Amino acid sequence: MLEGAQSFAQDLLSGLPVLSIMIFLPLIGAILVFLAGRSMSIIRVISLIFSGIPLIFAVLLIFAFSWGAIPDGEAFADPQFYEEYEWIPSLGVSFAVGIDGISLPLLFITPLLTFVSILFSWDVDRRPREYFGLILLMQVGVTGVFVLLDYLVFYIFWEIVLIPMYFLIGIWGGPNKDYASIKFFIYTHVASLVMLLAIMAIYFNAGATTFNMMELGDAASGFTRGFQIIAFGALLFGFGVKMPMVPFHTWLPDAHVEAPTAGSVLLAGLLLKMGGYGLIRVAIPTLPEGASYLAPLMAVIGIVSILYAAVVCLAQKDLKKMVAYSSVSHMGFVMVGFATLSYVGIVAGVFVMFAHGLVTAVLFMTCGVVQHHCGTRMIPKLGGISEKMPKLATYMTAGFLASLGLPGLVMFAAEFMTFWAIFNNWGLWLLVPILSVAITAGYYLWALQRSMFGPLTDKIETENIHDANWYESAPMAILIALIALFGILPAIMIDRIGDAVTIILRAIGGG
Amino acid sequence: MIPMIDWLIFSSLLMAVGAYGVLTARNGILVLMSIEVMLNAANVSLVTFSAYSTELHGYPDAMGQIFALASMTVAAAEVAIGLAIFLVLYKRHDSIDVTKINILRW
Amino acid sequence: MMIDYAWLIPVFPIIGFLIISLVPKKWLIWEGGAPYIIGMSTASFVLSILVIIDVLNGHTLTGPDSPRMTWLSAGSFELTFGIWIDQLTAVMLLVVSLVGTLVVIYSVGYMHGEGETKRRYYAEIALFIGVMFGLVLADNFVEMFIFWELVGLCSYLLIGFWKHKPSAASAAKRAFIVTRVGDIMLLSGLIILLRYVGTLDFSELFAEGSLEGSGMSSGMATLSMILLFGGAIGKSAQFPLHEWLPDAMEGPTTVSALIHAATMVKAGVYLVARSYPMLVQTPDALAFIAIIGGITALIAATNALVAVDIKRVLAYSTISQLGYMMLALGAGGLIITGLMHDGGHDGLGAGYSSGIFHMMNHAFFKALLFLAAGSVIHAVGTNDMLKMGGLGKTMKITSITMLIGSLSIAGIPPFSGFWSKDEVLASTFHAFEDAGSYSTVFLILWIMGVATAFMTAFYMFRMWFMTFTGKQRSDAHAHESPVSMTVPLMILASLAAVSGFAFFIGRGFFSFMSDSISSTIGSSVAVEAIHPLESLGEIFTSPLTYASLIVSAVGLFTAYSIYYKGAFSVSRLASGVTGKLQKLLAERYYISWFYDAFAYNIIYGISLVADIFDRYVIDGAINGMAWLSSKSGAFIRRSQTGQVQNYVAAIVIGGCLLLLFLIVFEWGEW
Repeated sequence: MLEGAQSFAQDLLSGLPVLSIMIFLPLIGAILVFLAGRSMSIIRVISLIFSGIPLIFAVLLIFAFSWGAIPDGEAFADPQFYEEYEWIPSLGVSFAVGIDGISLPLLFITPLLTFVSILFSWDVDRRPREYFGLILLMQVGVTGVFVLLDYLVFYIFWEIVLIPMYFLIGIWGGPNKDYASIKFFIYTHVASLVMLLAIMAIYFNAGATTFNMMELGDAASGFTRGFQIIAFGALLFGFGVKMPMVPFHTWLPDAHVEAPTAGSVLLAGLLLKMGGYGLIRVAIPTLPEGASYLAPLMAVIGIVSILYAAVVCLAQKDLKKMVAYSSVSHMGFVMVGFATLSYVGIVAGVFVMFAHGLVTAVLFMTCGVVQHHCGTRMIPKLGGISEKMPKLATYMTAGFLASLGLPGLVMFAAEFMTFWAIFNNWGLWLLVPILSVAITAGYYLWALQRSMFGPLTDKIETENIHDANWYESAPMAILIALIALFGILPAIMIDRIGDAVTIILRAIGGG
Repeated sequence: MIPMIDWLIFSSLLMAVGAYGVLTARNGILVLMSIEVMLNAANVSLVTFSAYSTELHGYPDAMGQIFALASMTVAAAEVAIGLAIFLVLYKRHDSIDVTKINILRW
Repeated sequence: MMIDYAWLIPVFPIIGFLIISLVPKKWLIWEGGAPYIIGMSTASFVLSILVIIDVLNGHTLTGPDSPRMTWLSAGSFELTFGIWIDQLTAVMLLVVSLVGTLVVIYSVGYMHGEGETKRRYYAEIALFIGVMFGLVLADNFVEMFIFWELVGLCSYLLIGFWKHKPSAASAAKRAFIVTRVGDIMLLSGLIILLRYVGTLDFSELFAEGSLEGSGMSSGMATLSMILLFGGAIGKSAQFPLHEWLPDAMEGPTTVSALIHAATMVKAGVYLVARSYPMLVQTPDALAFIAIIGGITALIAATNALVAVDIKRVLAYSTISQLGYMMLALGAGGLIITGLMHDGGHDGLGAGYSSGIFHMMNHAFFKALLFLAAGSVIHAVGTNDMLKMGGLGKTMKITSITMLIGSLSIAGIPPFSGFWSKDEVLASTFHAFEDAGSYSTVFLILWIMGVATAFMTAFYMFRMWFMTFTGKQRSDAHAHESPVSMTVPLMILASLAAVSGFAFFIGRGFFSFMSDSISSTIGSSVAVEAIHPLESLGEIFTSPLTYASLIVSAVGLFTAYSIYYKGAFSVSRLASGVTGKLQKLLAERYYISWFYDAFAYNIIYGISLVADIFDRYVIDGAINGMAWLSSKSGAFIRRSQTGQVQNYVAAIVIGGCLLLLFLIVFEWGEW
């Protein structure tokens, strides 16, 4: 039956430049939204359609993606649905797109999260054309980052992502939005420039003939060890800020606290993944010796991020800030997983990114609903809200439980594999990061107890609080269903991730 | 024939006069006129090199004269804009004393 | 063969859970959908009985041939789902399905007044029972761990069922976090095993010498087993992580009954019993288990002496009895290890079997006691024993069934508790005789066990006399509970009375249980069948039996004379040394206080410091850099005067300098 579905999906997609469509369809949508009149309903419907069609494509891609047979001799991931168009031949720049197992899960959550964010933002009436247009523009950038196989175009799309997010925070943000948006922009932009420097160094060192990732990956064996270490360090900084890793994480809580809910969902769900994706797509396969030299540093950074951010979460009074710090903690798992440079670790890292994308979206949405309906997110002012908002309490409990790694939900498999990989590589050092399991449960359940349970608070006006609206419930329900689906059947994704990782490990020469 | 170095010395002197004017004049119109002098100094050396090109590298080359013509055109346009700016400035500030105009400061 | 359909046992209640949570409200015909859950759990019960009959006929589903499916695989890393049924599973299935079904039926009466939230209650109860079935049927540790965590989730949800009560929300959180500390240890232990042995399937882990054969050092093997037991410490509320269980009384009494008798805390005992084939390879870990068990039994019993909340007395008694089970399992394992080197011995599986036997009996009498206590609370509307009294007249069924439960837990023959408790103490004593280097430890543990038996009898009858005899101390109109509550009580009471007879019916419980380890422990240790009548004779001729019987009787009589006859007033103990002791016990040895202080002052303190560090040091450095660049910009921008002539002068000077540079350095080439 599965093979039938696969060949059906492949037939459906054959001959279509499916990845280019996925990148540029939202762009057309964004332009149409900008041109649309004042009618709110037209704006919403256009945005839903133009983020929804790529979502359908993404689902088809999951089915059509073929896996299980690894081609021999390739030093770099063998991309599927490959398209290439020349762009600047004199510099060796071309518009090349293709996906492998590492792109696939992230490519799936990109249109998904955009779609649910647009749905969630149903009641945004402040400059709606710009708002929905920018969200669609961000989808363009993020989709591009996850499928492009040419460094220069990759960098362009990488930077495209920053602009809509800057405006989303800066225009629709909270009281301190100017500070947060500028901090976000400058911080991540500095990191991007360091990344660009490293990419340029790789380009020139390999003979300045091509920006194609696969060809540069093949050229990697010619790099000297010293160059690899320096270039890898630069990339690690560039991607580490984006992920973000302690101590370069402080832009994240500020940005999240001020960002509108949809902005937070996309920021945590997609933008952070760009950092992890860059590490495993660009840095590790192209600079394997640098990676193995700096792996201990990556591990330390990752483990510190996991524990430190979890501890800081415990002290947060703002629900959304707590969730923001928990993102830092979870992205630490990605870093540690990659640092093992082992099959299970890298698969786990990619899967953590996927899982975190789904889970954190729910968490930020619940925070957004609390903010909209109660007027505050501060935990000490809340209390007993579940009495007024039983649906929201259910979603929040489900989201928190998913995030703390409850089996049957998606994060469990990811964390379990990471722990296994850590023990496999570093033995009893496992006992350090595994402590976070208890701390994570601690801060989530404590927050739940103080904000949702107990007697109804008298610190805020609770008379008119009503439960989540349909457009707020539906996105969370969709995401929780997916969290449960991939929690019960994680193999759907994990099987597909594997091949790409095998090929990367072949480049590293380890296993 | 006048040796080429004489023309070049003449051009340098013109340039120095113009630069002195730009640096010391307080009247905006004078500054503009001094800039014109400097431009013409450059034109003189362009034409000089063009005229002596056969002696310098063995074949005639009109490129310098073409550039001189082009720069004169540009200078005309520039003066028009410059005068227009000063006209506006005069209207707003009743003065075209360049030392008093620092509205473009940081 | 019904055993092939055993996978349906957990599926039924989970379907019930899905039905109740997903269908529209009007389809929940009666009492918030209770009929669905009663039906589903009864179906599981019937199927369980059929499977148990198969097991009694000698059919088991163990080893690599049992049906399984791959859940997740990544390279060398593979997780599967499968079914494992042996004698131990059969006992667990009986306990969970029977107690679960009875609790659900009882809930119809008990939760009648709850209104809308009943739906959530039944959904969570169904999930609870379902995942517990999943746990006992798992054929590898990952599957077991998954259900293990889900059991923790359900207990979290159910303890916090009355979520508007701050104490309930707090207790639920505490239960989850404390057990999660145990889960971390379990997870670490599992990962160590997975790393070395390469699999977490029972069939390979339970092979003889599986730990040594995997290249593990003996220290690592012991560590992994102790970590594994760490999971049981959390889940089964063993010292020092036992304090969550008394707090967990904040949930509905039915939930307490389920947690204490069938689901949550039994999972830890089951884990230890299940890991036996591995544990016998690490004697030090077994000794650790026995010591923790003994300490827990004693400490919890002392706490129960002074508790005035009826559910709290029962909670401490559960902890104490769980300690007994661990003690028996540890002691029995050590006997086996000791004898693995010295050759065969009669009754080798006695410690193991007595632990399981006690767990089964405890399930019945503790479910009975909790449900009876629930009936009392339902009637008087308080948990406080000081406000009860004289209820025996109005609540005949409740008082008699609770008396049976109390006699059973106190170890008075012929009630079930007597048989298993006696065997627990006997195995401990045998360990003292056989366990080599640990023998002194086991003598102390045996004395602690006997002391616990005395206290158990005392506090149980203290509770019974305070509740049902004497004068009524509250003005509540107590009345007997509805039929749906009394019928489960009567069923459980009859089981509590007779389940001990399993000891000598047929082949006898012990030889039945011994099959489960003799098939997995391996050929070098022949766990010989124990003839039931022979051991019956042994029980009644052994001085050990009379020792434990006498202390129990003394405990019972003391309670009788103090709380019924009033021969001695307890208030006289409220001062001096005894007063201090009483306070120490009432404050639960300050363990709970210590955890609160640790969590709030140390962990939360660290987090506050980290937060400040994050805000002012890390972020401060970033903002400092921003400040520095903007300040230096403000300084440098003063060179922009806006005076055109200044700029021109700069250009001219720059041009002259360039010229000079050219002249000085490049002159020669002109």
